[in-house]
Amino acid sequence: MSGPADEAELAAGIRAAFLAADPVPEGVLAAARAALALRLPGAALAGLAADDASAPAGARATTATRTLTFTGGGVTVELEASGDGEVTGRLTPPSPARVRLRRPAHADRTALADEEGCFALPCVGEGPVSLVVEPPGGDAVVTSWIRL
Amino acid sequence: MAEEGRDSGELVRRARAGDGGAWTELVERYSALLWSIARGHGLRDADCGDVVQITWLRLVERLDALDAPAAVGGWLATTARRESLRQARLGDREAPGPAPDAAGASSAAPVEQVVAGRERLCRVGAALQDLPRRCQHLLRLVALAPGQAELAAALDMPVGSLGPTRVRCLAHLRRRLAP
Repeated sequence: MSGPADEAELAAGIRAAFLAADPVPEGVLAAARAALALRLPGAALAGLAADDASAPAGARATTATRTLTFTGGGVTVELEASGDGEVTGRLTPPSPARVRLRRPAHADRTALADEEGCFALPCVGEGPVSLVVEPPGGDAVVTSWIRL
Repeated sequence: MAEEGRDSGELVRRARAGDGGAWTELVERYSALLWSIARGHGLRDADCGDVVQITWLRLVERLDALDAPAAVGGWLATTARRESLRQARLGDREAPGPAPDAAGASSAAPVEQVVAGRERLCRVGAALQDLPRRCQHLLRLVALAPGQAELAAALDMPVGSLGPTRVRCLAHLRRRLAP
């Protein structure tokens, strides 16, 4: 009743039961397959260094604004995502740059950071986003994917 | 399981070289596990989908820098677990209080869908439904994780310490399956 063969058979039964009851939707698999096309070789990665959505409920500000910080490639990108879908950001060290917003299955959008490194992207909406920061004459930096 | 790891490492190396077929194999090998990890955090369909998608996008951005390609499964499971926690907290903030039944139905008890939604339900599915939620989730991850490393990463605990719980959950299940 509990030999290795029985164990393997039971595991197969459990796997089949869950795959039948709660399969990964085809759209999710399609998005995963398509993800490879979003690779940006050559861009330095700015990883997520802070996200106030990661704070435990009690330690968090109760405003609708979420603050995220990315660091890497010699740049710090601070983002504020407000409840109405606007994303504002600041580059440190301050520098003008082209800031490209990437979302899977959406056309890219571009904003220009001013001399203070400040930029704004209205109506971003929910879902995975990543920014590509392209300073004039400098190397591109890409922020790690996050879900807004 | 070591062989499984070697295979995955080879798939990562081929995907690095731009082999879309190798990437698709990785997606097919691990997506069910990642989905189950998100489900185990009580997330709804849309949020589980976001967790799975973000996890794959994170692998894409680190594909070239990944230190141990053979350990990609553990890396994916850890990323999905952390992202599920973040998503669960965001969800708390957006919708305080318990989720309404209609919206949360599929996240609440996936196994019950077998019973409710399908004419031809398998015995194991029905028996799983009677187990405590913790046992359901543990047995699901054990069954779906390609190896021990992925399982440990999904649960954020050493696999050795799971032994007694796993044995108890399996015994539970066997009692319900006994003729």
